[in-house]
Amino acid sequence: MDATANNGGGQLSRMRDRFPELGSGVLPVEPYISPAYFELEKRHIFKRVWQHVGRESEIPNPGDFFVVDLPASDASLIVVRGHDGVIRALHNVCSHRLNKVVYESRGSVRRLNCKFHGWSYDLTGRLVGVPDEKYFSGLDREQCGMTPASADLWQGFIFVNVDPHPAMSLNDFLRPVYADLEGYPFEKMTNCYRWRTVVNCNWKLALDAFQETYHVRYVHGRSIADALRSDEEGSMLPIDCLCGDVHRRLSMAGNPKTVYGNPKAATTVDKSTAQAGTQRVGKIASAALRAGRGATKLSFNPADLPPGINWRKDPDWVFDINVFFPDFYVSTRPNYYQAYNFRPIAHNRTLFDARVYYPEMKNAGGRFYQEYMKCVLRDVLLEDLGTLEQIQAGCETGPKTHMILHDYEVMVRHNAHVVERLIREGEARAQVGLS
Amino acid sequence: MTSGILPSEFAALEPFAHWALSTETARNHHRYESTVADIEAFVDAMLARFDEIVARLNEFPLDAMPPQWQRLYWMLLSVAEVAPAVEFYHRPDVPDGYDTHRFVADEDFPLRPRM
Repeated sequence: MDATANNGGGQLSRMRDRFPELGSGVLPVEPYISPAYFELEKRHIFKRVWQHVGRESEIPNPGDFFVVDLPASDASLIVVRGHDGVIRALHNVCSHRLNKVVYESRGSVRRLNCKFHGWSYDLTGRLVGVPDEKYFSGLDREQCGMTPASADLWQGFIFVNVDPHPAMSLNDFLRPVYADLEGYPFEKMTNCYRWRTVVNCNWKLALDAFQETYHVRYVHGRSIADALRSDEEGSMLPIDCLCGDVHRRLSMAGNPKTVYGNPKAATTVDKSTAQAGTQRVGKIASAALRAGRGATKLSFNPADLPPGINWRKDPDWVFDINVFFPDFYVSTRPNYYQAYNFRPIAHNRTLFDARVYYPEMKNAGGRFYQEYMKCVLRDVLLEDLGTLEQIQAGCETGPKTHMILHDYEVMVRHNAHVVERLIREGEARAQVGLS
Repeated sequence: MTSGILPSEFAALEPFAHWALSTETARNHHRYESTVADIEAFVDAMLARFDEIVARLNEFPLDAMPPQWQRLYWMLLSVAEVAPAVEFYHRPDVPDGYDTHRFVADEDFPLRPRM
């Protein structure tokens, strides 16, 4: 661990000193509003990197599939499990006259059959059926399969890359920052709730709203702001921040006297929480804690969590934010996790695909606790989303050319920095005629 | 006289049976169509018998609740739905928030609990 980091739970060193390569100046607005910049992001980032699209448990059986649209990669992919159990990604385009092969967003099939002229593919994309085949001249089925993209798994998450020969394997892409997160019980959090919306803003701007805590006191002042630990001046500083080559992580401390700031709620019988509840917790929250106590089908022992969780080992730790470049956000807590994609559609449009994964509950009381946690989370997300289109408008109306960043908005700075660096490197490669 | 919408021991809650809605989307939209007074009356009635409701519902497997009990269970989930309105916002919607009708729950997502 960096020796200049947090010295044992005391004051964090300044981020500008920890990550001098990121600078400490203002951030240009242009990358958030420029169609030309978006084209560069598409070419040098989204057509080259691994992108999260879901959990393998969504498609447990051979033939199970879903379709994912990746506009910034100019792709629509079928993600399908084969008879060999392997998950593959295929462009949803028929080799014959290029119709969509599947129209549904999700389902289960034995073969992939085009509805235009009946061309048929197996679950690996191999062409296996052509009506009137003798009327085609020199048709070589082996050369006429569906076009594959790359697909791979990390901890049960499905990642795809539209480059069929990625420059980097998924493991090489993720493990430098996330190897020590392996072993987190992602697979045990089987109850997932998902919401989606298309927000009229740039994808970086949407992600940025979730990768700093400076906003919490204001945007979440009515709801969950008191769930985070504040210092004596009211600042909600993170425990620590790590900026990797492209990925980044933030570790947060909670206020254990709140339902949201106490990761032990509903996983252990904790009398101090119950007593704290009478003072700090609302009447429905108290009821949720009572109903949920001991109702999960899992027991969590923090000692079993991998070393990358709460990597500073802070006693008040509540969750870590993990941003998997470019657009995947995972917030890991001991008893549940959130997984968001900020999928670019255009320079000023983003699909926000939000999921939260909880353990299965034994009974109605446990489900009530979970529903309480979920509804609070959803409404907190509405608070976050409420700013985004206003900010985009603020950027586009043009009175400002730059934004100003707090030292602990370092993840916002890091994202802008990484995007700019990858574009610059990609343009340099293009100059010398490489890819 | 009760209509048998809810289990007889909870028949007194039948005036609130309009909160017995089977999906998050329906419960959420019903919250937005309600007044704070409606919501608080519902919450007060449910919380007054909360532990009893939970104890009785816990006797049933989640995937095999008789219809009357299932309605009571949905009413319980509606209490969770309106919790932020009661505890945080003191109004049905999220102040300065994004339009809840645009933030669409995927009710058919395969990993979503059926109940």
